[in-house]
Amino acid sequence: MRLPFTAGVFPLIILLMTGCKPNTTDRINNAASITSTSRLPENPLEMTPMAVSLQPDAKTMSTLYGNGIATKRLRDGADYATGSVLYLVTWKGKADPDWFGARIPDRVTTIERISFDQNGQKSYAFFKGPAWYADTDMKEEERRGIILSIPIATSP
Amino acid sequence: MKLKFKIIGCMLSLVLLAQLIRPEEISSVKTKPVKRLAGVPEEVAKVLETSCFDCHSSQTRWRWFDRLTPVNFLVASHIRDGRKALDFSQWDSLATPQRNAMLYFALNGILSKEMPLSSYTALHPAAKLDQKEIDLLRNYLLNNVVSKPASVESNSNGADKPFMMEVKKSPNGIAYLPNYRNWKAISTTERFDNGTIRIIFGNPIAVEAIHEGKTNPWPDGTIFAKTAWKQQQGKDGSVYAGQFVQVEFMIKDVKRYAGTKGWGWARWKGENLLPYGKTVKFDSECISCHRPERDNDYVFTRPLDIRDLNKK
Repeated sequence: MRLPFTAGVFPLIILLMTGCKPNTTDRINNAASITSTSRLPENPLEMTPMAVSLQPDAKTMSTLYGNGIATKRLRDGADYATGSVLYLVTWKGKADPDWFGARIPDRVTTIERISFDQNGQKSYAFFKGPAWYADTDMKEEERRGIILSIPIATSP
Repeated sequence: MKLKFKIIGCMLSLVLLAQLIRPEEISSVKTKPVKRLAGVPEEVAKVLETSCFDCHSSQTRWRWFDRLTPVNFLVASHIRDGRKALDFSQWDSLATPQRNAMLYFALNGILSKEMPLSSYTALHPAAKLDQKEIDLLRNYLLNNVVSKPASVESNSNGADKPFMMEVKKSPNGIAYLPNYRNWKAISTTERFDNGTIRIIFGNPIAVEAIHEGKTNPWPDGTIFAKTAWKQQQGKDGSVYAGQFVQVEFMIKDVKRYAGTKGWGWARWKGENLLPYGKTVKFDSECISCHRPERDNDYVFTRPLDIRDLNKK
């Protein structure tokens, strides 16, 4: 009588143990990712991060990305050379579910692009989600100024 | 029948004799009352005292059942580990930022349900926190203990930095990795608890793991570099990365770092990149803080999905 009971209890315990194991799913922050570039020339998240900023009033956070040419500025502080491409990606921030005291990116609100073309021309483009249509921004001049003056996050 | 009594008698006397062997933590020398936490409202201090001080300060109230050998050895080991991770007895000797970090660390331990240990609250139900007490701590921190960014004037943004410097190894033997700035950002975070702003860089193996959706566990060779800068207020009200604070690495190698949860941990602080940690085992600090994420391979960051969208 006892043996079948023990034999029965063991699988039950194992079942419980495996059943209670927390699911180990990937924790990709999908909401904050750019999953379609149908209207974007490139995916800014693929580029090199150069600077970060917060806008406390709007509760947003931004990261400035640069392509290979632009990131030379990280190393020598030089001006952006012809061929540089910059992106400022802005997210709505949200409370970090894993750490009280932190805020992390939620959904992307805007994507802005500046490219340094021949003859020192700077082109500005503004994209609005979720399909990232190019839009016109009345404050283009101001935005360009703001983006280019974001201090680079320097590290030794 | 007689034999049975003899055996029971023997066991009883063994148990009684065992009571003479006790851990040193139980002696009164090791148990000192801690002053009420300075600079913290009374009700907040009281909650921490009731729920944390038994294991996280020198003020341990030993109950009779905690004193019994062998239970007392288990209790003593909990207390030793507890004090190592967080010790409120040191409160008076700490500067405000360290005190604040301690409070946030304590609250996050509570919010992640790591603390107080359920094995402890089972016998010490008074230590259990109810929602009201948790909200009290949370609101106190949110309203009083939030770091403000530095003003524009104090900007000394990386000027005159030495071109190449020799960076010392971390005490656990991990060498500095200078190329992380070429890696991709798997996320950015704002930390209002300590007034920093962060970029978490992932090496190509980490990014590949994200592409493939294989991030739990992260594959061997994954490296994260988490950089922190002081928040600095700009003229327009925006906040930027100011003074460089530190860079922290997590290096995945299940075999090599088997003793530290499969990760090599290292931190270099300040413009001079001084390695953090006094002893080889300093990384137990890292692990104790990352412990609530043990089901997520000890990684806090929820990474962005970085995909090459042109490669269809």
